[in-house]
Amino acid sequence: MTVRLAGVAIFMIAALYTWYGRDYTASFGDVLGPSVFPVIVGIPAMILSASLAVFPTGQVQWPDSPHMLRQVAALAILLGYALLLRDLGFPLATFGLILGIGIVLGGAPLRAVILAAVFAPALWALFDQVLGLPLAFLGRWFD
Amino acid sequence: MKIFTTTSTTLAAALGAAVSFGAPASATECIAPSAPGGGWDFTCRTIGRILTELDLVDGNVQVTNMPGGVGAVTFAMVATERPADEDLIVATSTVGITQIAQGRYPAPVDTMRYLAMLGADVGVIAVDDDSPIESLEQLTEMLAVDPGSLVTAGSSGAGGWDHIRLLMVAREGGLDSLGDVRWVQFDGGTDAVTQMMGGQIDVVSTDLGEIAGFVESGDIRILAALSDDPIPAFPDIPTAKSQGIDVTGYNWRGLYTGGEVSDEAYDEWVSDLETLYNSEAWQTAAVESGLIPIWRGGAEFSDFVIEEAQAMEEISRDIGVIE
Amino acid sequence: METLSLLAGGFAVALTPLNIALLLLGCFSGTLIGALPGLGPVNGVAILIPLTFAFGFDATSSLILLSSVYFGAMYGGRISSILLNIPGDEPAVMTTLDGYPMAQRGRAADALAISGVASFFGATVAVIGLTLFAPALARAAIHFGPSDYFALYVLAFITIGGISGVDPRKTLVSALLGLMIATVGLDPISGIPRYTFENYHIYDGVDPIVALVGLFALSEILMLLEKAAIDRAKPIGLDSWLPDVRTIWTTRWAILRGSIVGFVAGVLPGAGASLGSVMAYSMEKQTSDKDGTFGKGDPRGVAAPEAGNNAASGGALIPMLSLGVPGSGTTAVMLAMLISLNVQPGPLLFERQPDLVWGLVASLYMANVALLFLNLPMIGLFSRLMLVPTWALMPIVAAVSFVGVFSISNSGFDLQLMIAFGVLGYLLRKLEVSLVPLVLGLLLGGDMERNLRRAMSISDGDWSVLIASPISITLYILTTAFLGLSIWLARRDHKRTQIRNFEG
Repeated sequence: MTVRLAGVAIFMIAALYTWYGRDYTASFGDVLGPSVFPVIVGIPAMILSASLAVFPTGQVQWPDSPHMLRQVAALAILLGYALLLRDLGFPLATFGLILGIGIVLGGAPLRAVILAAVFAPALWALFDQVLGLPLAFLGRWFD
Repeated sequence: MKIFTTTSTTLAAALGAAVSFGAPASATECIAPSAPGGGWDFTCRTIGRILTELDLVDGNVQVTNMPGGVGAVTFAMVATERPADEDLIVATSTVGITQIAQGRYPAPVDTMRYLAMLGADVGVIAVDDDSPIESLEQLTEMLAVDPGSLVTAGSSGAGGWDHIRLLMVAREGGLDSLGDVRWVQFDGGTDAVTQMMGGQIDVVSTDLGEIAGFVESGDIRILAALSDDPIPAFPDIPTAKSQGIDVTGYNWRGLYTGGEVSDEAYDEWVSDLETLYNSEAWQTAAVESGLIPIWRGGAEFSDFVIEEAQAMEEISRDIGVIE
Repeated sequence: METLSLLAGGFAVALTPLNIALLLLGCFSGTLIGALPGLGPVNGVAILIPLTFAFGFDATSSLILLSSVYFGAMYGGRISSILLNIPGDEPAVMTTLDGYPMAQRGRAADALAISGVASFFGATVAVIGLTLFAPALARAAIHFGPSDYFALYVLAFITIGGISGVDPRKTLVSALLGLMIATVGLDPISGIPRYTFENYHIYDGVDPIVALVGLFALSEILMLLEKAAIDRAKPIGLDSWLPDVRTIWTTRWAILRGSIVGFVAGVLPGAGASLGSVMAYSMEKQTSDKDGTFGKGDPRGVAAPEAGNNAASGGALIPMLSLGVPGSGTTAVMLAMLISLNVQPGPLLFERQPDLVWGLVASLYMANVALLFLNLPMIGLFSRLMLVPTWALMPIVAAVSFVGVFSISNSGFDLQLMIAFGVLGYLLRKLEVSLVPLVLGLLLGGDMERNLRRAMSISDGDWSVLIASPISITLYILTTAFLGLSIWLARRDHKRTQIRNFEG
C-alpha cells in the first residue's frame, strides 16, 4: 500500500513540476528555452511513478507509534536547532542539539549532558577559532 | 567513559595540530556573494590580503562566501540585517549592477553605499585564429545582413553583460533585429574560447582577463577591445571606437557597504581603499589577474554606479531583455 | 624525455624539510576536515588559502600545503562514507555503496585500506598520464562539443540504471527526482528563476552538499530511531583492527580498470571526478559482479570508484592547467588556488612556468604517497569510531553536519532544507529507492540540460545536431551496447536463480 501511495505522491509532484515547467519562457536568445528539459524529465517521472502506483513492488514496514514518536521528536529538535541557531548562538544551540538527539537515541541523560557539554564548546572552538569560519558565540538574544 | 576517549583523542589531536596555525579572530569582514573561485571571491581575497599586509585593518580580513541569486542573497541580507555594520565590505561588479538594473535584486541600487572601484576587466570580441572574419567591420556587416549566420557565445546567459555588450556592438554596426542573433551561454570565458577552438562556435564576447593566455599563444584573435583607450598589456588590439563602433564595455570590480554606515566610517574606508589602490601590491595583483587598475572612489563612484544602473536598464529595455 | 627531467626537477624543488613538514601537516588536517560531514576539499582549500598568505610561503610551498589538504580531504571524505554511510564530498557517493556494507559486517579496516591503496594507484595512473600525454590530450579534448557532452551524460545515466536497487523503475525515478531538483534555481542560460517560489535562498539552486548531508546523515538518524533502544546503544563492532592484505590483492584488477576509466573521464573538461567514480563503479559491476555481491560489501565495489575518482581528479588537471577550464567543483578549487598564487592557467602555462606545473604534479604525487603512509597506520584509530555507540556518535555527526553547512553558507534556510532532505532520504530508503541516482541526477543534471540547450542553440533548433558528430555517435553506440549487455545479464541471472530455486 505504501508503495502505491508513494507512486501517487511522486506522480503528483512530477505532474505539478511538468505543469509549472511548461510556462517558463525566455524572452530571446535561447532556442530550446527553459521549459523543454523539465518536460523531458517530468513526463517519464510521471509514467514511472504511475506504474509504481499500479504495479507496486516491495513491502514497507513502518515503525510502531512509540518509535515514530521518537522520530518526530528528533525532527523537532533538528528543526528547533535550525530556527534558533542565530538567536541562541552556536555553543548553546549545539548543546541542546547533542543532548536532545543523544537522549532520543537512547543515551542515559547524564551521559548525554556530559557529551554535549564537552562537544558543543569544542566544535565551536574547532570551527571558529581553528578553521576561521565565523560562528557567533552568543546569539541575538544576548545582544 | 571509554567511549569518549577515542573520539575526543581524535578531536584533541585535530585541535592540537590546528591551533598551531590558527588564524586570529578579526572584526573586518569581506563578503564574496559567490562560491569560492571567480571574480568576487578574488576581489575579497586579494583586497583582504593587501589590507592586512598594509596594516590598514587589525588582524586578518575574514572572507565569507555567501552565494545566492548572483549576489541578491547578500544584498538582501546586508539591507535588512547589517545596514550599519562599519566593518563589513561586499564585493560587486558590473555583473551585479546589471542584475539590479534588470530588477533581479530585492532592493534598488541606492540601498547601499558604494565605496570604490579598484580595477576593471575589458570586454573583447574574439574569433578563432583561422576564422575568415578579419575585422570588426566585417563581423558587424555579416550580422547586419544575416544575424543567424554566426553562432556567438560568452560566459553570461541571454541578456547578461557579455550578451548585451555584443548586441550593443551589433546595433551600432547597423543590426536592428537583435533577437535573431544566436547566443550560446558557457560557464566561463575559457569554456567559450575552447569551444570556439574546437569549431563549435564562431564568435566569443567576454572579458579579456580570463582568456588573455589564448591571445598570447595565438590560438584566438581579438577583433576589438571595448575600452576607451588601447589596453596597456595588448597595445596592438584596436578599440571598437577606433573602428567606428562607439561602444565601451568594462566589467569593473569594486566594493559596497551598508546603506546606514556613518559618513566617517565611509570616508575612512574610501581613504583606506585609495591607499590600497596606490600600493605596489594591488597594482601587481590586478595586472597579473588581467585587470586594468582604475580608481573611482567615494561620491564620484556612487554617482557612477547609479548612472550605470540607469544606462543598463535603458539598454536592457531597448534590446528587449526586460519589459 | 624532457618532461621526465622536468618532473624530476619538480620533485627536487618540492623535497625540502619545510615542504615535507607542510605536506604531513596538510594531509593530516585535510583528512580531518574531509572526515567532518559537510566539509569537503572545497572548504578545506578555501579555509587554508588565507593561511598560506598569512605565513608568506612561496608558490611551491603553498601549492604543496594546499594540494596535500585537498587530497587529504578527499581521503577524509571516504572515511565518513565507509564508517557512517555519509559521503564527505560528491565523488565519495559511490564509495558508500559497498564501503558501508563492508563496515557493517566488521570489515571497516579492509574497506579503509582498500580505499587508501586504490586512491594511491588511481593518482599514480593519473600522474603518469599527465606526464606523458598532457599537451596532446588537451588539444584532443577541445573537440568535445555540447552535443558530445550531452551524449556522455546520457551514457552516464544509463549506466546508473545498472548500479543498484531491486526494482529498476525505482532507480530511474530516483535519478529523475535528482534531475528535477537540479533544475531548481536561476537558469543560467535565460536568467529566469525556476521553481524558486520567490525565495532568494534557492536562486543559486540546491547546494549538492546540503542535499548530500541531509539525504545520508539525517536520514541515517531516522533509520536508527526505528530500532529498539537496546540495539541502538550497541556499536556495530569490528572483526579486525588490521586490514587483510589478501583482500586488497584481490581488488588489483578492479583498481587498474577503475583508474583507466576514471582518467579518461577526468580528461574531458566538465566531466570531473563524480563522473569518473560513477563510470568506474558501473563498469566494474558490469565486468565482475558474477555472484550479485556488489552493493552488499564487495571489496571491488570500493576499489573501482576510489581508483576512478582519484584518477579522474588527476586527469582533470589536464584541461584545468592547459586550458584553464575548471570542469568540476574539485578542479575549480585547484584553479582558485592557482589564481590566488597569481598563476593564470592557460595554453602558455606549460611553456612559461614549467617549474610550477611540474612542482604541482610532484606535490600532488607526494601528497598521495604521504597519505598512503600516514593513513594506513591510522586505520586502526579511524575504525575504532565503529566502537562508539550510536547515541554518542550520531548527535556529534548531526551537530558537525549542521555547523559544516552553516559555516560555509551562513544561511539558516540551508539547515531547514537539509532537514527536508533528511526526511526525503528516509522515506526513499523505506521504499527501497537508492539515494545514489538522486544525488548523481542533482550533480550532473545541470550540465546535462545546459549542454543540450547549447547544442540546440548552436544548431538553431535542429535536433539532428545531437547525432551529428562521430564522438556522440560512438557514445550512443556504447550506451546501446551497455543497455543490451545489462538486459542480457539480468535475464541470465534471472534464469540461474530460477534454476537454483528449482533445484533447492
